[in-house]
Amino acid sequence: MFSTIIEQIVNGIVTGSVYAIVAVGMTMIFGVLRAINFAHGEYYMLGTFGAWFAVDYLGLSYEASIIVGLLSTIVVAYVVGRLVMQRMVGAPAEAGVLATLGIALVLQNTVILVFGGGYKFFSGGYIEPLSVLGFSLAGQRILILVVCLLVFIGLELMVTYSRMGKSMRAVSQNVECCEVVGIDVPKVVLHTFILGAALAALSGVLTAPVNVSVYGGMGELITFKTLPIIIMGGLGNVRGTFFAAMILGIAESLVATYVGLQFRDTVGFATLILMLMWRPYGLFSTQARF
Amino acid sequence: MKHTLSRRALCISTAILSLAVTVPGLSSIALAADGTIKLGLVAPMSGPNARYGAFSMRGAELAVKEINDAGGIDGLQIELYSADSQGTPVEGVSATRRLIDEDEVDYVIGDVSSSVTLAMQPVAEDAGVLLLNAASSNPKITYAAGVGGFKWTYRNYPTDENRAFVVAKYAAEQRGFTKFAVLSVDSDYGRSAIEFTKKYLPEFKGEILTEDYYKEGEVDFRSVLAKIRDSGAQAIIMYGLADTTPIIARQMVELGLAGKVTLVGNGEFNTEKTIKSAPTALEGAVEAAAWLPAWDSPESKAFVEKFTTTYDEAPNNHAYVHWDTVHLLAQAIHEAGGNDREKVREALSKIKYKSPVGEVTFDDHNQARLPMILLQIESGKPSIKGAYTAEIEYPAQ
Repeated sequence: MFSTIIEQIVNGIVTGSVYAIVAVGMTMIFGVLRAINFAHGEYYMLGTFGAWFAVDYLGLSYEASIIVGLLSTIVVAYVVGRLVMQRMVGAPAEAGVLATLGIALVLQNTVILVFGGGYKFFSGGYIEPLSVLGFSLAGQRILILVVCLLVFIGLELMVTYSRMGKSMRAVSQNVECCEVVGIDVPKVVLHTFILGAALAALSGVLTAPVNVSVYGGMGELITFKTLPIIIMGGLGNVRGTFFAAMILGIAESLVATYVGLQFRDTVGFATLILMLMWRPYGLFSTQARF
Repeated sequence: MKHTLSRRALCISTAILSLAVTVPGLSSIALAADGTIKLGLVAPMSGPNARYGAFSMRGAELAVKEINDAGGIDGLQIELYSADSQGTPVEGVSATRRLIDEDEVDYVIGDVSSSVTLAMQPVAEDAGVLLLNAASSNPKITYAAGVGGFKWTYRNYPTDENRAFVVAKYAAEQRGFTKFAVLSVDSDYGRSAIEFTKKYLPEFKGEILTEDYYKEGEVDFRSVLAKIRDSGAQAIIMYGLADTTPIIARQMVELGLAGKVTLVGNGEFNTEKTIKSAPTALEGAVEAAAWLPAWDSPESKAFVEKFTTTYDEAPNNHAYVHWDTVHLLAQAIHEAGGNDREKVREALSKIKYKSPVGEVTFDDHNQARLPMILLQIESGKPSIKGAYTAEIEYPAQ
């Protein structure tokens, strides 16, 4: 009984890691743009497709396919960032919703047109199970956990010490003041956006071997799982996102075990409703930042 | 002047048409005179299930061509009309009406999707046109047919209930499983298959230890598989989606369930792609299908070969069942002694049709008694374990 609970918590942490890497990109983009990026899951999908293409068509190894997945997403994110996201600075919230929803449809359907709507099969990755602390886990999941920790340590350091990180925080606090003191706001927006999209792609590439199926619509569910996490974590809050993702991952895992798998997605949406009712500014902030 | 004329013509033709429709005997006599049999096919030609529609159409076309080339049915040629249901009940109903009212077909074959077929049933019943279903598996369709209500609906396809029964019987009797876990897709298909499994499982002393349903697009099964592992279940009853099976199979390997817990049910366990994803987890898996290209009978092999040379693509289940159903109808028309709807309907109820999977007869609910083909994955390859027929226990009227 006790070991079952521990095992389910471990499962939840692994699931939480996947969510965390995707969600942190979305929350950072929200920070600088004040816009929910509804196309965020599509970058997760693009990364996965890039890697799948590299393995299936180019015959590359899984390690090389990670690079291909990331690079192809960065290119797309650069174009989208230049053409669309930079124009969102100072635009009303509706514009952001419409633009990112539109981009989601365009990206999704382009991929379906090019590669077809059927499910693809991702081969590659470290899928052999390893035994850790008495639990059986695929090597790939341990990789995801480690990468997640590294990503968050890296991001913490970046937003605290680097010039770009400090500019991001500045832009998320006050756009007008940034312009006054000479911070290049569109550039910060573009960089944040590319970083966020690349993190989503990284999450996609890392989970592809354990999720096996690759298809055009796979990003949608990820976008909707991410929403409650970034709200729970406090919009724009990197550290908060990490803990929120872990909480959601563990809660989902326990619900799937003790209530029923069919109620799993309910957890995220119920959390979203409760958060918006009682703490719309997140679990870890005492007041609204925006 | 011209305007009034055409309106009058319209009135008269409508009057004649409605007369023809309300008196079925009259219309069939009128239509039989021109020496052709008009057959309508309703299938999803566009939309997400367009692939199934295309296969259905090709299967039916091939059968019509075979029959016509061999001189027709007692000299009568078949003319095939098709209409697009788009996989939705609303479009399916208007497609059926179009076939009956405008093309004046005597027989309708359709649809693939159960919800569309359910909506088509009253339309065909009102018009007194035979609706012969070839590919919908929801048991409700024939629960409400024959003595259950709709006299003009027949189904030449095994139901989810047949499938559930056959799988439960095989798993219990041939494999000796008594402890089961349920992991099915959260849809009408997944849930109704489990409902029927529960109806028959007590007969085989089987019990269900855990029961879970997954949403379409679910990718994380670790929690539920760990629960199944700890429950001590011997087999997982799964009526799932083809694209999710590899995910579950891989996570079974991850959690050490492979080789200990067997998958039974339906969800494309037998394709090369799925088996390759996790060979150890799928070894021994049991699946029930209405038909598959590997089915070993001369007629079935000949069909696969003919279809492949004609269309440059191997047939799927939908192509086969529509091809087979056209041949079944042709035999019924032949036995009825001509193109008379009422007589054809009576002939169908009494028919003994030899299909490539076995002899087909209809029960009093107009449901064909059809075998399900059971296959088991052995050494990474599907191996056919035989065809099993199940008699449906209908609830009391």
